Order: sequence, then structure tokens, then C-alpha cells
Amino acid sequence: MTAPSSPEAPWPVRTVARKIADWIGRLGEVWVEGQVAQLSRRGGAATVFLTLRDPAADMSVPVTCHRDVADRPGLELTEGARVIVRARPDYYVARGSFSLRATEIRAVGLGELLARIERIRKLLAAEGLFDAARKRPLPFAPAVVGVITGRDSAAERDVLVTARRRWPAVRFEMHNCAVQGPNAAVSVIEGLRRLDQDPDVEVIVIARGGGSVEDLLPFSDEGLVRAIAAARTPVVTAVGHETDTTLVDHVADVRAATPTDAAHRIVPEIGEQRRLVDNLRARSRHLLTSRLDQQDRWLESMRTRPVLASPDRLLHGRLDDVVGLRTRARRTLVHRVEGAERDLEHARARVAALSPAATLERGYAVVQRADGALVRDPAEVADGELLRVRVAGGRLHVRVDRSTGGEDEQP
Amino acid sequence: MTDEAGPTQTYEQAREELGDVVRRLEAGGLTLEESLALWERGEELAKLCQHWLDRARERLAAAAPADGAGQD
Repeated sequence: MTAPSSPEAPWPVRTVARKIADWIGRLGEVWVEGQVAQLSRRGGAATVFLTLRDPAADMSVPVTCHRDVADRPGLELTEGARVIVRARPDYYVARGSFSLRATEIRAVGLGELLARIERIRKLLAAEGLFDAARKRPLPFAPAVVGVITGRDSAAERDVLVTARRRWPAVRFEMHNCAVQGPNAAVSVIEGLRRLDQDPDVEVIVIARGGGSVEDLLPFSDEGLVRAIAAARTPVVTAVGHETDTTLVDHVADVRAATPTDAAHRIVPEIGEQRRLVDNLRARSRHLLTSRLDQQDRWLESMRTRPVLASPDRLLHGRLDDVVGLRTRARRTLVHRVEGAERDLEHARARVAALSPAATLERGYAVVQRADGALVRDPAEVADGELLRVRVAGGRLHVRVDRSTGGEDEQP
Repeated sequence: MTDEAGPTQTYEQAREELGDVVRRLEAGGLTLEESLALWERGEELAKLCQHWLDRARERLAAAAPADGAGQD
């Protein structure tokens, strides 16, 4: 064999190259799956060069193959295609380059791709990444919206134009990147990380127009799905047409049907909001006013209640009482006086009945001597004595004259 | 009857008490002095209620100039 190398006896390049080639050549044949990142066919050259990339990691490996392997009928070898390659590690001594020398290339069929997506979906669903409880609410009117789209794409225009029309104050933080092909998932993840770290960005939109199932594959990338799940900022996806469902749609906080729909979801419509506010304001004012009116009416009804409105009524009954009592008192007194008057009258009548006047009326007379003593016997008076006679009609004076009469008679 | 200082009462409290005063006055059976005192209290409460309602209207009116500014 070859002697060990030393500064005094270095190996020539060819020796090193052959040794490496030998060692690599002893590695066995492998089946490897990846995504075609680059494809170059040089004119009529017999060898086709391609770069096979791992869709989930930033790693790739160069692959070479004979033109016939690449152009096998039925194989559509394009950049971005998923392929399974049967290859042997190979060292090209002429250039010192490493590659996988492919002897067979198979496209990963659509059915296979979808089945794989479905497996990833189930796995992530089992982890709870798609749970409704994980969905974060979108901010009401975000000041800054992060947007991840292809540069100058229709999706970008739809999002920006629609969102600005609805809410003119909205600002955007853009991240333009590849949205299909082998680098799409990685560059979307990169944009997501950047926007998520920006404290001003309140919501992130990932938008892409429609495309073939293969075109949309990056949006079912497990790494991207996990990145969205890990993001602190709410994420809205609008990928493909409404009928296309990619895994990012499952993990997104809101899945919009189209980029235009995404714009509707992220910002409110300013006119609508104004009307809403005006309407609420008018309603609250109206409610308050009618409540006040109602209270005014109630208060008015209280104030006009007789007990409050005319406090003098409080006295009414009482005044009547006083008047009544007074009247009764007066009446009682009058009765008394009248009774007394009647009693007096009776007494008077009795007095009158007992007085001598009535006897005098009948023609009797009372005779008195000058000193007023009553004369009951003729013997009591002297001849010629002056006497007073009282009759009913009045008094008269008489003189006793014994010469004219006989003997004084005894009654 | 309550002897609360007027302004410390809310509208609802004043209103409730006013209703009570009127009911008691209407029910009667009070001494003259009692009913007079009750009537005075009622007047006071009615003024207080009016005061609250007037204040509320003033505040509503103060907000009015903003009305219509939002129309476009």
C-alpha cells in the first residue's frame, strides 16, 4: 500500500482523490427522498445535475444522473418536485466533488403526497396543535399588520388594497418571499419569526394565491405548521382557493378563504364601525332621555298629588273640626240661655199670679193709713182721718166721715 | 321619619322615600304636626329628585355638541 504521508513525502492529489473515491465508493446504495431544489441540464450533456433538498431542514445534497434516468418517460422532473432517488454516493475524482449518483428517480405521487400530509395532520392533531382552545382572538383594529406573501403577487395586492380601503390607518410590515418551490417553507418560517419578534406587529397574514397541490405543498410543511403554532402573534392564513386545505389552515388562528377575505378578517370596516358607534350612541342617548322623561313624569305625578300639591288641605279637615266644635259650643250655650229665659218667664208668671193686683182687678181695694198700715177694722181709724185707697187703676185719698153713716158694721 | 341630609341621597333613595312620604300622607291618621313635617320632607325630597334630574339633563346636553360630529 501507499506509505503514510509526511511533509517530506506528501501524497499527490491523485492519490488522495483515489483514496477518497475508494472510501466513498464502498458506501452502499441508498434510497433517499427529498425535494428537487435545482435542476440543470447542460445542453446535450449526458449528465444531469440536481440538488436534492430536505424539506424540513436546511440541508441538501448534490445528485447527478444520466440523462436517461432524468428523462425517463412518466417522470416529470421539475424544481420543487418531491422525488425518491436510488443512488450511490460518488466522488468525482476529476473535480473532487461529491454527489449521489442516481440510478433511478421516482416522483412521489400526488396520492402519496396527500397521504403523507394526512399522516402529518393526524400527528399534529394528536399533539393538539389544531385545538380550538389554542386559537387566539385577533386584535380589533391592529395598528401594524405583518404580511407574508410573494413579491408583487395578486395575494399581496388583495390584502393591502382591501385592508387599506376598510381601515385607512392600518400599516403593514411586509415580508416578501418565495411562496412555492423548495425554499418556500423555510423562507415563510423565517418571515414568520421576524414578524413575530417585532413588538409592533399585532397580527400576521400569510397569503398566497391558488395553485396546484404541489405548489401549495410548502404550506403543509410540518416545520411551518409548528412555527405558526409557536408564534405569539395571532396568524391568519389565506392560502390557495377556498377549496384547498393546507395544514397551515388548520393551525392558523383564523383561516381566511382568500387574501381578500383575510383583509376583511384583520381590520374592521371603518364606515360600518362609525355607523355602529353612531347607532349605539343614538340608542344610549335615546334610552337615557326617555328614562329621564319617565322619571320627570313620575316626579310630576308625585308633586301634583293632592297631599303634596295643596298642603292647605292638610288643614281643611281640621278647620272643619274646629268650626264644628265651635258651632256646637255656641249652640249649647244658646240652649242654656234660652232655658234660663224660659225659667225666668215661668217664675215671673207665678209671681204675677200671686200678686194682689189680680184681686184689685176684681174690684177690691186696699186701704192704708198715712203710715202705710193696712186698715182691717173701722175702729182703727178716727173720724176725719186721711186714708189712702189703692184700687186696680191707681191710688186715691179719702177722708173718714162718720156723720153720714150709722154704726160701723162688723164684716 | 328619616333625617338624612339631602345631597347624600341618590336619586333612587330620594325617589323611594318620596313615594313613601306620599303614601303615608294619603293613608292619613297622623297628627297635624306629623303630617306637616311629613309634607315638608316630601317637598324637600321632590326638590332633590328634581335636582338630580336637572343635573342629568345638563350632562346629557353637555354631551350633545359631539352629536352629529361622527356623521359622514
